[in-house]
Amino acid sequence: MPRGIELSTRDDHWAKSMARLKSVAVDAVLLTGAGLMIELLVVAFSGRRSPAGMLLGAEDILDLLHYAWITAGAVVLAILWNLLSGWLGASPGRALVRGIPERERDIPWTHTLRGWFTILFIELTFFTGWLITEVDLPTFLTKFSKASDIVRGLVHPSGAVLHQGVLLLVQTIFLAFMATAFAIPAAFAISFLAARNLTRGSALSRLLYTATRTVMNLVRAVEPLVWALIFISWVGIGPFAGVLALWVHSVAALTKLYSEQIESIDPGPVEAIMATGASTLQVIRYGVVPQVIPPFLSFTIYRWDINVRMSTIIGFVGGGGIGYILKPRVDLGEWGEVGTLVLLIAVTVWLMDIVSARIRERIV
Amino acid sequence: MPGFVGPAVAIRVEGLSKVFPGGVRALSDIDLEVREGEFLVVVGLSGSGKSTLLRCINRLVDPTAGRIWIFQREITGAQGAELRRLRRQIAMIFQQFNLVRRHSVLDNVLSGSLGRARLLPSLFLRYPAEDRRLAHEALERVGLRDRPAARADALSGGQQQRVAIARALLQKPKIILADEPVASLDPALRHSLMRHIEALNRDEGLTVVCSLHDVDLVKRYATRLVALREGRLVWEGQPDQFDRRTYREIYGTDAEPASNAMA
Repeated sequence: MPRGIELSTRDDHWAKSMARLKSVAVDAVLLTGAGLMIELLVVAFSGRRSPAGMLLGAEDILDLLHYAWITAGAVVLAILWNLLSGWLGASPGRALVRGIPERERDIPWTHTLRGWFTILFIELTFFTGWLITEVDLPTFLTKFSKASDIVRGLVHPSGAVLHQGVLLLVQTIFLAFMATAFAIPAAFAISFLAARNLTRGSALSRLLYTATRTVMNLVRAVEPLVWALIFISWVGIGPFAGVLALWVHSVAALTKLYSEQIESIDPGPVEAIMATGASTLQVIRYGVVPQVIPPFLSFTIYRWDINVRMSTIIGFVGGGGIGYILKPRVDLGEWGEVGTLVLLIAVTVWLMDIVSARIRERIV
Repeated sequence: MPGFVGPAVAIRVEGLSKVFPGGVRALSDIDLEVREGEFLVVVGLSGSGKSTLLRCINRLVDPTAGRIWIFQREITGAQGAELRRLRRQIAMIFQQFNLVRRHSVLDNVLSGSLGRARLLPSLFLRYPAEDRRLAHEALERVGLRDRPAARADALSGGQQQRVAIARALLQKPKIILADEPVASLDPALRHSLMRHIEALNRDEGLTVVCSLHDVDLVKRYATRLVALREGRLVWEGQPDQFDRRTYREIYGTDAEPASNAMA
C-alpha cells in the first residue's frame, strides 16, 4: 500500500477531532454572546441607577457584566450540548462547522432547539444593538431644525470653489484609477494562492493559502483612512499617498473577490487540461484564467468606482483629491462651498456608477 | 518459451477503493485488467462509481487504497513530472465536453498537446507548426475542418464533443477514458459520435475504457463489459452475455432496458 494512504486516514481522524473542537468553540462563543446580551438587557431594564442617580447607560452596564462567569457557563453548556447532541439535536456550532447532520435535515427549524436558539440570538442582538448604539427615535423625529442650516447651505451651492473643485475632482478620478491599476497585477497573482480549490495539492500550498488569506483579511480590516495616515508620513501629503492607501486596500479587496471567483469556476475544463498531462501553470492558464477574466474585469471596474468614492475621505486627512479642500470648509461651516463640492462628488459618483454598471453588463 | 504472447495489459487495477472526504464510499476493492486494444465498457447506475473508477485511472481522483498500473508503470503514488508523463498516455473524454469555452476550437484541440509542449510558448497559446498541422488534421477527421477559429461555446453539443475527441487525438494517447461521452448529446447523434471513438479503437489500436448508459450502444461497441453496483465490480462478460437477467442484476429489479435491443 502506498505510504500516502496511511497518512490520509490519520489526517481524517485528526480532521474529525479538530472539527468537533471547532464546533464546541463556536458554540461556546455563541452561548457566551447570548449570555452576555441577556445579562445586559436584564440589568438595563432592572432600573438600576448609577451613584449620580442617573439610569445606567449601556456603557456603564458593559462594565458591570460578569464576563468570566458567563464565559465559563457558556463553555460548559457548549460541551454539554455537543455531548448530548443525539438528544438535543445538533448544536449551532456543529451545524456551522460540519453541516446539519443527515437525520435532522428534514426537521423544520421550529422543532429544533438550534432553530429557537438562532431566533433568540437574533432578537437579543437587535435589542442589545438598540441599547448600545443609543437609538433615540423621538429626537430623530423632532429635532430636524438644528441641522437645517447645513441642509440650506448644501442646496444653495456657492460658485467660489467650482473651478478648484473640478480640478481636484479630475485628480480624484485619476488617483482612484492609478490605485486600481496598480492593484490589478498584485491581486491577480495573489488570488490564485488564496483560492481553496487550487491549493489543496500539498501541505505547502495549504499553508500558503492560510497565510495569504490571513494577511489579506488583516490588510482589508485596516481602513483606507489609516493606510492613508501611514503613507502620508511615508511619502508626504498629496495624491500619491492617497494612491498608495487605496492601492493597499484594493489589493486586499480584489484578492478576496478574485479568489472567490476562482473558487466558483467550473472544474470541468481544469480536469480536462490536467488529464492531458499539463503542468500546474498550464492548468491555471487554460483551465482557470479564461473562466475568470470577464468577472475579474467586472470587479476591477467596480473597484475603481468604489475607489473614487473612498478617495474623497482619503483627501480629508491629506491624501489628495477633492476631499483635501472639502475638510477645511466643513470645519469652518462654509456650507455653501461644501454644497458645491458634495454636488460635484455626487455627480461624478453617479456617472461612474452608470458607466461601470454598463461596462460590467457588457462583459459578463 | 511461450509460443504466443497475448496483447499487453494496458491497465491493471488491484484492490482499488475510494472513500471521499465526506465518508461516501465510491469504490470498494476493484480488481480489473484491461488488455491493449480492448473496448471495455463500464455500466452501472448513476452513482455506482463509474466516473470515480475512470478518474482514478488517470489520478484526477486519488484512490484511498489500491494500486493501478498503466503499461506496467505504477500511476498510484506517481508525483509531479512522472505523473504527468503517465497521464499523457491517457486521454479523457467527458460527459460535459469540458472545453475551454472562451478559447477557439483550434486552441482547444491544441491544448491536447500540453503534456509535451514547452511551458513558456504554451502559456501564450503558441504551438510548434507540427502540432498545428496535427490539430487541423484532427479537426478534419472529426468533420470540423471549416471552423477552427470559432469560439468553442458557439458550437453545438455534438460538435463540442467532436472537438474534445480531436483534443484527445492531439495528445497521441495509448488509452482513452470516456466518461459517459454521449449522455449529454441528442440521441440521434450518439452513434455518429461513438463511431469516432470506435475508429480510434479499431484503426489506431487505442485501448478504450468507456462508461455508457444506453444498452443499444453497449452491445454495439463493447468488446468486453464490466458492471459496477454500489462501488463493487459485480459482473464481467461479453456483450452477447449481457441479457435481461444480467441487466436486472446490475440495475436492480425495477429496471427495464429502454429498448428492445436485448433478448
